[in-house]
Amino acid sequence: MTWRRQANAVFRICWFNGFLGLVRSPLVFVALFLTPLSFLFFLYVVAPRAELPFGVVGGVLFSCLFTGSGMMNDCAYLRLERQLQQVFITSPLRPISWVLGMALSELTFTIPALVLFLGVLTLVISISIGAFFALLGVIILTWLLASSLGFLLSTFFRTLREIWPIGMVIFTTLSVLPPVFYPLAAVPASFRWVAYLAPSTFASQLAVRAAGLPAASVPSVPALGSIPAELLGLVGLAVLFTGVAMRFARWREP
Amino acid sequence: MDALVAHSLSKTYRGGGRSVRALDNVDLTIAQGQLFGFLGRNGAGKTTFIKIAAGLLLPSSGSVQLFGTDVVAHPREVRERIAIVPQEGKPFYHLTPREHVEEYLQVRGASSETSKSRADEVLKAMGLEPYARTPAMLLSGGLQQRTLVAMILATDAEFLFLDEPTLGMDPFARRQVWEVIRRSVRNGSTVLLTTHYLDEAEQLTDELAVIEGGRVLYRGTPDALKSKVRREVRLHFSSGFSAEELAPFGEVYAERGGLTVMTTRAQVEELTRMALERKIAVNVGPVTLEEAFLTLVGRDIEEEDSEAPLA
Repeated sequence: MTWRRQANAVFRICWFNGFLGLVRSPLVFVALFLTPLSFLFFLYVVAPRAELPFGVVGGVLFSCLFTGSGMMNDCAYLRLERQLQQVFITSPLRPISWVLGMALSELTFTIPALVLFLGVLTLVISISIGAFFALLGVIILTWLLASSLGFLLSTFFRTLREIWPIGMVIFTTLSVLPPVFYPLAAVPASFRWVAYLAPSTFASQLAVRAAGLPAASVPSVPALGSIPAELLGLVGLAVLFTGVAMRFARWREP
Repeated sequence: MDALVAHSLSKTYRGGGRSVRALDNVDLTIAQGQLFGFLGRNGAGKTTFIKIAAGLLLPSSGSVQLFGTDVVAHPREVRERIAIVPQEGKPFYHLTPREHVEEYLQVRGASSETSKSRADEVLKAMGLEPYARTPAMLLSGGLQQRTLVAMILATDAEFLFLDEPTLGMDPFARRQVWEVIRRSVRNGSTVLLTTHYLDEAEQLTDELAVIEGGRVLYRGTPDALKSKVRREVRLHFSSGFSAEELAPFGEVYAERGGLTVMTTRAQVEELTRMALERKIAVNVGPVTLEEAFLTLVGRDIEEEDSEAPLA
């Protein structure tokens, strides 16, 4: 099958799994807004007003990271419960097209929340066109990173029962514990480097800088807290995760 | 030309300190354009064979070639030429049967027009037209299964793996699916079908293999398999006879709340006369593929203890 047909297949999967799935299950729509909005509301109530923009940027990134959790759940569900992954990959469709189609579906689920958070962001801070595109770049890299991780993990599950606890551990560690919803400055200076153990910190710091918010330094490893290091980190991790997912994802049971 | 060639194919599942040998040195060839049946009880190794041949599972040893291409070494080349109905697969809950067929064909590379016309054709042939625009979540289990099968049978894949495709369907739907399977074969596809409905295997397949404990016990035509049973006629009595009384006439089995005796043509008259004298209803019929299958794999299998021979 030609690359054009593969690309068409990717968009077909995104259409029927993502778009039609969203419009025919409005509850998914609500569920996707609920968690980041709850965090945002919580921050609005308890945090100083100056930190609210961090919460909004956090909402944007949380939505992107959530695509990884969705990817893991949906891919495992379609493989284990519906056996549809087997139906689709035993065809001229390349496995990478299946993954990309699924990842775009997850992005489709996230787009309404992203639009909302980006809209709120423009209300709480002024954001230039350049900054907007920089933020968009961070969003795309974070989506790629989270989707690759989600897909890779999905291929290792043997039952749907295993997904919930593992998904909670991984995606909570990625999206709630690191400085996604709060500024890195809230972490004691000597421990800030620890936050960079989570790939989401690279994304959050880049997003914070793109939004024009004050970024914290990393006194113990000064090179970490810079745009080139964070960009290199995020791009490198996104490429690494995608490569690992393509190389080690189990298309065939051992 | 052979469409599928399996050579010394073995598969051992390991886990939890145990190992289960699902396939044991299986040699099998399926000719191009053949409708080949795979029979065997649960856990016999049928699905394992299909998963390996479709490139979804790695074998422990041995090889499978599809149209001359090694499935393990070149899964991508093989996948381009196949389609599979997985055992107990289910459609997307939010899509309609028409969307399933059209979208799947387009994902496989068919044009929008071709997808539409094939969808029309297959939905009509499989009796799915009245439900074509109903989301799968509102369809019965049998209709959902038909939707999944329609997706696969609408393709022009050269090799179709159908793992229990008519599971849960009513007899009318099964016959509609049979007709579409036959049409796929007429159009040049090769089909490997597993089924627990032996009438289905008898109706559809050109040739079949019986697999038991991971080994091929028999390979040949359904008629040749039936001829392996020494008796020709089966008589079923719902009541009125004991196993001891029937034993001299042949093999006796407890079945469907009564007794079945497998006997020869010569003894049918005597048995029906006895039944008439006792005013007992008797059901007479030829030995079926099911009888031949049970004779071959042995009736004294755990799952079918109720049909163990009594005499």
